[in-house]
Amino acid sequence: MVVKIRLARFGRTNKPFYNIVVAHARTARNSRPLEVIGTYDPIPKTDLYDDSGKLHKDIKLDTTRAKYWVGVGAQPTDTVWRLLSLVGILPPKYRPAGPTPSPSTPGQTSKA
Amino acid sequence: MPPRIPSSGCQPQRLLNCLESVPPPSPVPLSTLAPRHRPTASSRSSPQWSSSSSRPFSTTPAAQATKLRRKFQEWCDKNGPLFRETNPGDTNYVSRIMPVSDNQGTEPDQPFPNNKAFRSEPVLSERARETIWWSVMVKGVPLKAVSAEFSVDMRRVAAVVRMKEIEKRWERENKPLALPYAYAIAKMLPRRDLVEGEANFEPINDIHVHSYTMQQLFVPASESREFTRADAAKAFGDRVLPPDAKMRIPELVQMERSIVEGTPPREARAQFIANAGASEAAFAERQRARQQGAEAKRTRVNTDRFEFRFEKINAEDVGPTGRARKAAGWRYGAPLMDRRRGEVKIPTRVE
Repeated sequence: MVVKIRLARFGRTNKPFYNIVVAHARTARNSRPLEVIGTYDPIPKTDLYDDSGKLHKDIKLDTTRAKYWVGVGAQPTDTVWRLLSLVGILPPKYRPAGPTPSPSTPGQTSKA
Repeated sequence: MPPRIPSSGCQPQRLLNCLESVPPPSPVPLSTLAPRHRPTASSRSSPQWSSSSSRPFSTTPAAQATKLRRKFQEWCDKNGPLFRETNPGDTNYVSRIMPVSDNQGTEPDQPFPNNKAFRSEPVLSERARETIWWSVMVKGVPLKAVSAEFSVDMRRVAAVVRMKEIEKRWERENKPLALPYAYAIAKMLPRRDLVEGEANFEPINDIHVHSYTMQQLFVPASESREFTRADAAKAFGDRVLPPDAKMRIPELVQMERSIVEGTPPREARAQFIANAGASEAAFAERQRARQQGAEAKRTRVNTDRFEFRFEKINAEDVGPTGRARKAAGWRYGAPLMDRRRGEVKIPTRVE
């Protein structure tokens, strides 16, 4: 059976919050997964005492486990692919129109 | 079968009857359910209603003021002028002229005569706050030393400095300050300048009494053993701290000890300020290290719209059952109690 890395929606109405989970593809969205490797809070937040207007999103991720699961063939969904590509675990799938950077340079400040 | 209620007796029907029969008096005889006063009222006001479309003025005489209200008005007329002007340096509380009973007077710091427990404590005057800010920000004296010098709680000293900093920044930015409001409030409250020779503003080294230490305890100890306060704390419980570890400014105790041991007070005081400064520097360093540690676990990725902050976690933290509370993410198979009665969801602190 296909193992996927996907999001499981928790939270409340109009207040989404996602667990980044590794689960079998045919299981229900919020059923108990194989492993929870992180969380994704899609609601942009401001910093306290920061009036620059720049918003941020908080993501928690176990990068080691994410790399492991990608390495053994787990298939990330598009959204999770986008998140993992930000930290350089995967090459970016979709790029904004414009000059395409080489595949070896992922996110701007990514370290991994 | 439930008992039948006659349709005229049921409440909505009755209401409907009343409403329908209020507009122009109908020739239909009024039902017995209609209010009793209506025939006279409608007969009196009907000509006006028919002549003009606007609603008529009521001709009912205004209700007489109650006795209580009349007495209140009398009291205001008699005593009001006493409170119109505030005496500088004095409170303007109503308790000034209102003893609770013949043999029990009220104190000047008691705003409500019947509430003995409510005392209005003096606040720091504008000059006192300026002095505190000057000592901390200009002279660079450690907060603990300022607190000990003026006998003002350390938290209050910190708050004064923060507020003063904001005030001064707003002045630099030409933002309007609500000064009339501040003056008016300050005029109404008892104030204290931090003048030398006055009584202490407030106790600064009080400690919290742990409930474990309120019980009587018998601990066998040999006569030769030196039983200190730290030992006593340990006897009461593993988590109970000795008073020296709990007080806000333990350096003050050190200073008094060294004075007792023969150090000249001036020297002891200089040592106290140095110790206080060192402890504050250590605290700041700890805080900086904590922030740095949190930042090291975080990767920031800037995109056009948002900054994504990736925090590194350990997926193994969920524990053998997968339900550990400290682990990241929502828990499976454990109810979230956020809809429980009495659960406080309002944020209680500002990070």
